[in-house]
Amino acid sequence: MSELKLNSVIAGKKELEEICNKLISKNKNIKKTVSICCGTGCIANNSLEIVNKLQQLLKSRKIDNAEIKILKSGCPGYCEQGPLVKIMPDDILYTKVTPEDAEEIINETIINNKTVERLLFKENGDKTIQKENDIPFYKKQNRILLGLQSKIDYTSLEDYISINGYQAAAKAFSMKPDNIIGEIVDSGLRGRGGAGFPTGRKWEQVKKQDNTPKYIVCNADEGDPGAFMDRAVLEGNPHLIIEGLIIGGYAMGAEKGYVYVRDEYPLAVKNLKKATDAARKVGLLGKNILGSGFNFDIVLYRGAGAFVCGESSALIKSIMGMAGEPKQKIPRNSVKGLWNKPTNINNVETWANVPNIINYGSSWFAEYGNKSSKGTKIFALVGKINNTGLVEVPMGITLREVINDIGGGIPEGKKFKAVQTGGPSGGCLPDEKLDLPIDFDSLDEAGAIMGSGGMIVMDENTCMVDVAKYFTDFNLNESCGKCTSCREGLSRLSEILERIIGGKGKEDDLLLMEELSEYIISTSLCGLGQTAPNPVLSTLRYFKDEYEAHIKEKRCPAKVCKSLISFRINPDKCIGCGKCAKSCPTNAISGEKKHTHVIDPYKCVKCGRCLLECPGKIQAVEKVDTFAEAK
Amino acid sequence: MSVTKEKNKNGSVVVVGGGIAGVQLSSDLADSGYYVYLVEKTPSIGGIMSQLDKTFPTNDCSMCILAPKLVGVGRNPNIELLTHSEVKEFAGKPGNFKVKVVKHARSVDPDKCTGCGLCTENCPIQYKIQPKEEALQIPEIEDREEIDKIINSYKDLDSPVVQILLDINEKYKYLPEPVLKYISYKMDIPFSEIYRMVTFYKAFSLEPKGKYHFKVCMGTACHVRGAEAVLESIKHGIKDTKKDLFSVETVNCLGVCASGPVIVVNETYYGNMNSKNTAELVKKLIDKENE
Ligand SMILES: Cc1cc2nc3c(=O)[nH]c(=O)nc-3n(C[C@H](O)[C@H](O)[C@H](O)COP(=O)(O)O)c2cc1C
Ligand code: FES
Ligand code: FES
Repeated sequence: MSELKLNSVIAGKKELEEICNKLISKNKNIKKTVSICCGTGCIANNSLEIVNKLQQLLKSRKIDNAEIKILKSGCPGYCEQGPLVKIMPDDILYTKVTPEDAEEIINETIINNKTVERLLFKENGDKTIQKENDIPFYKKQNRILLGLQSKIDYTSLEDYISINGYQAAAKAFSMKPDNIIGEIVDSGLRGRGGAGFPTGRKWEQVKKQDNTPKYIVCNADEGDPGAFMDRAVLEGNPHLIIEGLIIGGYAMGAEKGYVYVRDEYPLAVKNLKKATDAARKVGLLGKNILGSGFNFDIVLYRGAGAFVCGESSALIKSIMGMAGEPKQKIPRNSVKGLWNKPTNINNVETWANVPNIINYGSSWFAEYGNKSSKGTKIFALVGKINNTGLVEVPMGITLREVINDIGGGIPEGKKFKAVQTGGPSGGCLPDEKLDLPIDFDSLDEAGAIMGSGGMIVMDENTCMVDVAKYFTDFNLNESCGKCTSCREGLSRLSEILERIIGGKGKEDDLLLMEELSEYIISTSLCGLGQTAPNPVLSTLRYFKDEYEAHIKEKRCPAKVCKSLISFRINPDKCIGCGKCAKSCPTNAISGEKKHTHVIDPYKCVKCGRCLLECPGKIQAVEKVDTFAEAK
Repeated sequence: MSVTKEKNKNGSVVVVGGGIAGVQLSSDLADSGYYVYLVEKTPSIGGIMSQLDKTFPTNDCSMCILAPKLVGVGRNPNIELLTHSEVKEFAGKPGNFKVKVVKHARSVDPDKCTGCGLCTENCPIQYKIQPKEEALQIPEIEDREEIDKIINSYKDLDSPVVQILLDINEKYKYLPEPVLKYISYKMDIPFSEIYRMVTFYKAFSLEPKGKYHFKVCMGTACHVRGAEAVLESIKHGIKDTKKDLFSVETVNCLGVCASGPVIVVNETYYGNMNSKNTAELVKKLIDKENE
């Protein structure tokens, strides 16, 4: 992408537009763009190797690299089928590509303009689909943010500018700060970090304060396990966040922004660092940005693995170099935040929506979504679902559409049981709630929350008591320990659940849990404790029968809880191959060759190895849902 | 002890020391009708127990036991608190002692102070207990330069400790104590404060990691797909190996939920794990070492 190197400071809006136009006309010479997903998920599946191979091949074939552009893109969402390779302008999407396929892609698609059928997405295992937007996974999505990912190289400032990047910032500088905030208020944008607080109102609060300096923070701590939408945006389009922060800083009168990003995302840290450095070099960060007289800079701050640091007051403490313990809500951060100065905190996705709203206007944004919630939201659709990945949908779409149409339903023809939204502070919703529109208020009412966008699908093989225990333990581990009701209350809750899972539950345990949960909710200091019992309460509300099976019948219907299940070998099916006995880590399986084998239930640690070892055609090892039956 | 029946018997008691024993004793005495003077040398009552985390054997939090008692003592009209005070002289006999107590200057009007703590926050002078330079087991010289470099690279940041510790943790794969002491000395931050960071944040480890370090994802997506079995399989597999060969850590979501359950060995990601392929992976690593 050479001649047009961005090295000097961009003086103003006009120059920015000129550069953009130049980049666009230069890009017209490109015959083909190959964009390879290099998000963490695809890198784990060797996508960097594909990039290397492609580059080597181009070089060795002496193909002009002004004509063929190879770019490393952020995650476009369909991680299940990764590594993804997209070829434009032919609009071909190759899925599950391996480094060995690189040669064929160059020979066939790049040189001969042919599609490699073998690498296309296959619906129901046979029908191939070439275009990205025809794939069922993408059809119902509205990818305002994620759609940009595969168009740009993830750290290239040139690429970002060529898709009208930083023009929203330039436009914002020509507006009055109050009008910018007015625009955000009108758009109806609500915080994507969990609570769904109207963003414009929050900005107004900070703008109002006289105390200076003011700070703004991008919350990229993304602690919810099983959620990775912020990761994708940070890795794939860091300049978008930077632009959002510049606009916010200008509107609220803050000259310093912090990005608090969790250290478990090394690639996001790296890309953000590269992006801020590049922006600083051309004066998009620093003094007198785009000739507007406004100064702004961004500091990257890495978190160190504490979930509670996602909570805004804890995050502030953490940035100030203390242990991340939350404080009481009042005074609010908008009055006294970082170093006791007015501070505004927003989630990554919230910031990412800002440039679009400024560019296209609040009414454009408000077209998406329903009455109470506007715009699109990215969800991480994971768990027992066919199409795992990130989906960006307009608010108000139903859960059923997301799970069945986009997610493609449950694998192996199993039955759907529940969907968990909102991470460890959310709740589980059963089948009959699937027609609920996804928006902040409907989910709240049903006892789950929108949260930051994790959506974990569970099938009939998931035990809801086990899930409740999982989240309770998660919250217990992450509780900072400052307030008693959260620290001790969650310990007791976990003990009761442990008892139920161990088959020693008592009948009044359920009532006790409800009561205890109420106490924890009403007396905890911060959002962690106030929402921690939600998984227990929602499973109690919708899946009481499962709790009762554990307590009264000492049975785990989903065959998960170890104390309540056992493994046995069906004598009618066993052919005595001995594979299970050989693999058993505790020598619990005995039997002579070619004779039926038996599992000693008292030696068995229920690791499930035998089940996996038993040859697929035989399937003699069975899981049963009570302990007694094995004897 | 015989009780002398003198006429001018005094109905009051002096309790010396406001730790948990003194506090309990004072409230018991006050409840049985005595007037109690509770003398404590330090500016506040509570003693060592207020510094403890948990109590033996029930593991109850110690402050939860202590705090109501402290409040009780403070409110009891039969107890007079003499904090920041010392007993100087003792005269008389049982039933009628005369005790001379020196009250140290507090420089704050106790009747007006609400204990908001703002003055301590704003006091420009702070005493720090710092490890002395010569007492430090300073790490190797070459290391020291690198550590200095790390410290310097964050000099523009207002609060760089966590960032520095993250880099140190990355470099050594754990946080060696001498290095922490060195940082404490270099940056003039109390060692206790650094220690608090290290134990609060999960990314830090005070123990060296093994040659093969397993990160097992315990995030929700991995959990519902059976991460528990994977973890157990690893633990079972490395049970009888040398201590410095393997180490295991659990993390919450590595952001690659699509291929869960996920484990990372050193830097390599392995997806779609189950008890079978995990056991095979561990065995392969052990075999490689035994060659
Ligand atoms: C325990 C806890 C954890 C949180 N974790 C996150 C997080 O990882 N990322 C995030 O953006 N917000 C998180 N939040 C929400 C923040 O406190 C805050 O509401 C949010 O960053 C505000 O941004 P928004 O208005 O853009 O949503 C968390 C809240 C709580 C109580
Ligand atoms: S990481 Fe490549 S598709 Fe998500
Ligand atoms: S839950 Fe394991 S990688 Fe996300």
